[in-house]
Amino acid sequence: MTTYGARRATNPRDAAEWSRGRVLRTNLRSVFGRAYPRIIGLTREPSWVFFEIFLPFLAVSAFVFVYRALDAPEEYIGFVVVGGAMTAFWLNVVWMMAAQFFWEKDQGNLELYFTAPMHLMSILAGMAVGGLVMTSSRAVAVIAIGSILYGVSYDIQQPWLLVAVFILTMIPLYGLGMLFASLFLMWGREANHLAELLQEPIYFLGGVNFPLRAIGPIAGLMMATLPLAVGLDAMRQLVFAGSEVSGVLPVGTEMAILAVMGVAFLAGARIALRHLEHLARREGRLTLRWQ
Amino acid sequence: MIDRAAVRGVTVADAWRTFRTAIGLGWAVESNWSDPFLFAVYTIAKPLAAALILVVMFQVITGGQGTEFLQFMIVGSALWNVVFGVMTGMVQSILEDRERYRMIKYVVVTPTSLFPFLIGRSLARVLISLIAVVLTLLVGVVFLGIQLHPEPLYLVAASSIGLLAVMALGIAMAGWCLQLRQEAWHYPEAIAGALYLVSGAIFPVDILPSVLQPIAYAMPTTWWLEASRRGLLGHGASGAMGSVSDERVMLYLLVSTAVALPLALGLFAWFMRRARQEGLLDMTTGS
Repeated sequence: MTTYGARRATNPRDAAEWSRGRVLRTNLRSVFGRAYPRIIGLTREPSWVFFEIFLPFLAVSAFVFVYRALDAPEEYIGFVVVGGAMTAFWLNVVWMMAAQFFWEKDQGNLELYFTAPMHLMSILAGMAVGGLVMTSSRAVAVIAIGSILYGVSYDIQQPWLLVAVFILTMIPLYGLGMLFASLFLMWGREANHLAELLQEPIYFLGGVNFPLRAIGPIAGLMMATLPLAVGLDAMRQLVFAGSEVSGVLPVGTEMAILAVMGVAFLAGARIALRHLEHLARREGRLTLRWQ
Repeated sequence: MIDRAAVRGVTVADAWRTFRTAIGLGWAVESNWSDPFLFAVYTIAKPLAAALILVVMFQVITGGQGTEFLQFMIVGSALWNVVFGVMTGMVQSILEDRERYRMIKYVVVTPTSLFPFLIGRSLARVLISLIAVVLTLLVGVVFLGIQLHPEPLYLVAASSIGLLAVMALGIAMAGWCLQLRQEAWHYPEAIAGALYLVSGAIFPVDILPSVLQPIAYAMPTTWWLEASRRGLLGHGASGAMGSVSDERVMLYLLVSTAVALPLALGLFAWFMRRARQEGLLDMTTGS
């Protein structure tokens, strides 16, 4: 039987005197519980599937037609399709990770998270797992439809390396989303503007619709800060192996950068969450709606 | 049936007051409650980045040769901010007032009409989008060598009619979105994205698959963009549309707007009636 101590505790996890096994099980259940609505939502909200595929696909189509109007080589059409699929992940990170705590606050869920005896990282991990599953289906659909409609041909010589790069890209990408989740919540009402701000400017700086090398020296800065840019550049090198358009750095170097980013963003997210939890308890302001 | 004579306040003066108050409210929601620096960055960075994407794509393929197409893209990209601003402004203001601030039911039960409130409330976003248009064009002229040869009369006529057409689409969308559940927030982006594709905003309509071209030619936004390009640059798109005379472009814009406007107002009235009957005005979806 669980006993809750009468001693002073800094958080509900501390207050619940649970065994390590129970703590682990509770956190895993939290991960599953938060991932569940996103995964099950695939079947329960068909309209979401439509919008998640339709919106990136519209943008992809517009840029494909621009390249057609410019008589660009066919590989650029492929660049846009792959970039469009990765955009689905970025949108998921921005709107359903970074801005999520803000929406949860408005819906009244955030205070429940703070009072439940589980780690907030479990909630964020659940969001990430659910979002990854949900968005993967949409990214595959964008690539499939785009490839069929626009006749994109791929030259993948190292499929397992491509899978590894994709996974390595997703870790810092969702890690960044976890970090932003805390920051967006602290910045309050600006969440909506911030999320909007992280779209077109990031598509430009991340080279979503053109080879990253084209933006010159800024590409170097993006290589050090933006996992979307690094991952996309590495994936394009592997998906269009025969292309004359070269990447900014060799794939191996970009994988190392992604690995470092993954560790840094996850550690940053943990620190930011701890600070957030501290602020929420000390000031009681972070869980107030419409702030 | 409302006996308007018996209700104090249903006058033009009251509608005007509602409109002015709604403008102030819309601006407060959009700007005053945000950090001014962040708001300024947001207003400038988003449209500029959208235009810069096109610039880099153009540079990568052409190496900077043949700036006529670049001018075509920059003007289209700049003007599209208005369509996006109006669409999202109208829809999000009505949804925010229903879902987030939960005020729309009170606005509807007051004697004055929802219509001036909606127009005023969304005007802040329209204003922001106009700032974005000017900034994008300014960057185009100063840094990208875009040469403007404005024809003021033609431009003013095209802009006025075009704005009416775009607002008509926004009003119809706002009424439609009141009928929807959670996905309503996505609709303005989806419809604006679809129109972006079929209106030839950043590429000539001739590039579209033949099945989409009739839709493109039926859209007032297509003719508004073409007329505005002619009014700003002195020339329009290349290809089939480029061979249409200025007078005919204006006529097509006028006709397509004359069809869209009453249709949109009728749809909005019907959607509002349905929303009252079905209790959709105080519905919250938790979205």
